[in-house]
Amino acid sequence: MSGHEEIEETQDTEAGHWQGLSRLSVWANTVGGALVIIPIAIAVTVTFALVPMAWWWALLPVPAAVLFIAGATYVDLLRLRRIRYRVTDERMEMRSGIIAKAHRSIPRERVRSVDVAAPLYARVFGLCTVTVGTGESAGAGGSDQLQLQFVTAEQGEELRRDLLQRGPAPGSSGEEAPAEEGEEELARLNPRWFAYAPATGATLGIGFGVLATLVGINAQMGGQGWEWLSQWLGLPSGAEIGAFILAQLLLLIPLTLFALLLLGVVVTLAVAVETWWDYRLARQDDGTVRLTRGLLTSVSLSVEGRRLNGVALREPFVLRSVGGAEIRAVATGLSAGDEQKTAAKSRLSPAMPGKGARALAATLLRTSDSPFSPAPRVHPRAALRRRFTRAGFATLGAVVVAGALTWVHVQVREAWAETLSSVEIDVMAVPLTSGTAEAAPVWGWFAAAALFGVVAFWYAVGSYRGLGHGLHPRHLVVRRGMAVRTTVALERSAVIGWRITRSPFQRRLGLADVSATTAAGEGLYTATDVGLGEGVAWAEGSVPDLLAPFVERVEGEDEGSGQGRSVLP
Amino acid sequence: MISNALRLRPPRHRVDKRAIWWWTTRSLLTAVAAAAVPGVTAVFVEPIRFWLLLVTVVVGLAGLGVTVVMPQWRFRVHRWEVTDTAVYTSSGWLWQEWRVAPMSRIQTVDTARGPLQRVFGLSSVTVTTASAAGPIEISGLDHTLATEVVDQLTETTEATPGDAT
Repeated sequence: MSGHEEIEETQDTEAGHWQGLSRLSVWANTVGGALVIIPIAIAVTVTFALVPMAWWWALLPVPAAVLFIAGATYVDLLRLRRIRYRVTDERMEMRSGIIAKAHRSIPRERVRSVDVAAPLYARVFGLCTVTVGTGESAGAGGSDQLQLQFVTAEQGEELRRDLLQRGPAPGSSGEEAPAEEGEEELARLNPRWFAYAPATGATLGIGFGVLATLVGINAQMGGQGWEWLSQWLGLPSGAEIGAFILAQLLLLIPLTLFALLLLGVVVTLAVAVETWWDYRLARQDDGTVRLTRGLLTSVSLSVEGRRLNGVALREPFVLRSVGGAEIRAVATGLSAGDEQKTAAKSRLSPAMPGKGARALAATLLRTSDSPFSPAPRVHPRAALRRRFTRAGFATLGAVVVAGALTWVHVQVREAWAETLSSVEIDVMAVPLTSGTAEAAPVWGWFAAAALFGVVAFWYAVGSYRGLGHGLHPRHLVVRRGMAVRTTVALERSAVIGWRITRSPFQRRLGLADVSATTAAGEGLYTATDVGLGEGVAWAEGSVPDLLAPFVERVEGEDEGSGQGRSVLP
Repeated sequence: MISNALRLRPPRHRVDKRAIWWWTTRSLLTAVAAAAVPGVTAVFVEPIRFWLLLVTVVVGLAGLGVTVVMPQWRFRVHRWEVTDTAVYTSSGWLWQEWRVAPMSRIQTVDTARGPLQRVFGLSSVTVTTASAAGPIEISGLDHTLATEVVDQLTETTEATPGDAT
C-alpha cells in the first residue's frame, strides 16, 4: 500500500517528515461520489425514457455523470498531491491548496481533540478522516479545525496517539501502541439502552414527516399518483374514503397514530444503532478521554483530559418522562463550524438510564460526590411569577387566534366551501378538511385555546421546577429547561468571567440572569432568574477572588429586590 | 437569608460626559432614518398615504422619546473599572449588563473609534476573552483616556501568567 511506505520514511527522524494523504483516498472519494451520483443518473435516465421526449435525451445522464466523476477525480488527484502534513515536537503543520496555497501551523499544546472517523466507503479502503480541534479559529468565519481526508488507518491511529501526548518524539519508532494498556473503561454499550432511542418528541414527527412527503409528492403530480394507486389497488374514490374516515374517526385516529409511532420507532432505532453501535468510553493514563462508536461510520474521538471542563446532562422531555438521560462534553476545541455539528460532536453517551448517566457523568468529572445527585437550589418564587405572566400572554394570544380561526371556519362552511373542497381534492385526494369543517362545532377553536392555556401554565410550572443552581467543591452547577432539561457541571477553574443581565421586569422582581463565561462548550452557562443577592453570592463563592472586590453587603434598602430580604439588622 | 444581602457595587468610573451627546446624535439619526422610510414612501404612494403618515408620526415620536430618555439613562448606568486583577463594566439602559473578566483570561485589548465617536473625541475599548459570550466593551471614553486604559491593560495582561483559556 503506497501510504504505508510514506510512514516508514518518517520513522528515523526526530522532527517528523512531511507526509501526504493516502493515495487511495482519491478512489475512496470517487466511490463515495459515484454511490450518490450514479443512482441519480440512472433514475433520470429511466424517467427520460418513460416521458414522451426525444429518445436521445435518455442517453445523456449516465455519460454526463461518468464525465463529472472523472473530472472530480482528476481535481481530487491534484488536491491530494499538494496536501502535506507533519507533526514535529512543537507543532503540527499542514500545507494545501492547488491555486490558493495555504500553510497552517499550530502548536501541539493547542491541540484539544482528535477525531478519527471512517465512513463505510472509506473503511473498505482502510482509510479514515482525521479532524484535529485546536480551539483557535483561523480568521473570521474559519473553523478551528484541521482536517485530513483521508489517511490510512495506521496514520490515523498514530496521529490520535501522538497528538495528545505531551512532550517529546512523535511518530514513535518501533514500539507498538503502549497507550492502550493503561486504560480505564468508563462505559460500554448495553444493548438495552436502545430501548430509550425512540423516546424523543421526534418519533411521532418522523412518521408525520414521511406521510407529509407522500402527500407533497401526490400534490406535485397533480393528484395523478393517488389516482394511479387507487385504480391499481381497486380503491374506492377519494370522496368515499373521506366519508369513511369521518365516520370512523374513533377507530382511525388511534390506528393512524399507532402506525406513525411505529414508523418513527423504526427510524429512530435504526439511527441509534448506526450511531452508537460498539459504543465505548474510556480514560487513558494521561487523562485523555476516548470515545469510540458507530456501525457504518466508525468514529473515534479523543479529548484531552485537561480540556474536558465539564459535563452536561441532557434530559429532553419525553426521555425524562421514561427516566432516561444522555451526556455531553463541555470541552474546548470541540466546536465544529455550526452549532448543530458542535452539539453532535460533543455527545459522549447514547440515551441511557438516568441513574447510570448521572454516575457516568460524575466519573467523568472525577468527583466522589456527584454534582448531579442532589437537586440544585431552587430559584425565588418571583421566577415562577414571570413564567406565569408569559403563560398568561401566550394564552391570550391563543384566544385571539381562536377568534380569528372561528371567523375563517364560518366562512369555510358557507362562502368558501365549494372552492376549498375542489382545491383539496386536487392536492390531498381525500377531502378531509372541508368535511371536518362541516362536522366540527365552531366553538372547538376556543376549546383548543383553553387546552393550550392549560398546557402553557403546566409548562410554566415545569420550567420553574427545572431552574436550579448549585456549588460543589470543584464544580458549579446550573440547570434549566422544560422541553430539554439540561444540567451542566462546569469546573470552577474554567470560569473566565461573569456576565449578569437584568431586564426591566427582572429588576422589578429582584431577579437576574447570572452567567459564567468560559472557553469550553457553549461559552456561557446561565443561572436563569436567580435572586440577585443569591446569584451574586453563588458567583462569588464559585470563583472567590474574582468577584470579591466588586461585591458589597447591603444593610438597608435593597433596590427592587422585594422578597426574601433579610429580617436581621 | 444572609446571601440576599449581597449585591454588586457599581464600577468606580463613569464614562465621559460627551458620551451623552454621542448617544443623542446616534439615536436621533436612527430615529430620523426609521421615520423617513414610511415618510418618503407616503410622498409617492397615494392610496395608503394616511396610514403611512400615521406610521411616520408614531415611529418619529417613539424615536424622539428614546432620544430624550436613553442618553441620560445610559449615562447613569454605563460605568467601568480596571483593577490589578480584573476588568469590571456595566452598561445598558432598559436591559442592563454587568461584566467581569479577570486579567489572566484576557486575550486582546483594542480601541475603536467610529466616525460619530470621533466627532465627539471619544473612543471604545474592547476587551476579548476566549469565551463565546462576546467581548467586553467600554464605550464613550475620552480618546486619551482610552489609550491610557489600553496601555495599562496590555501591561497588566502581559505580566499575568496563563494561556487565557
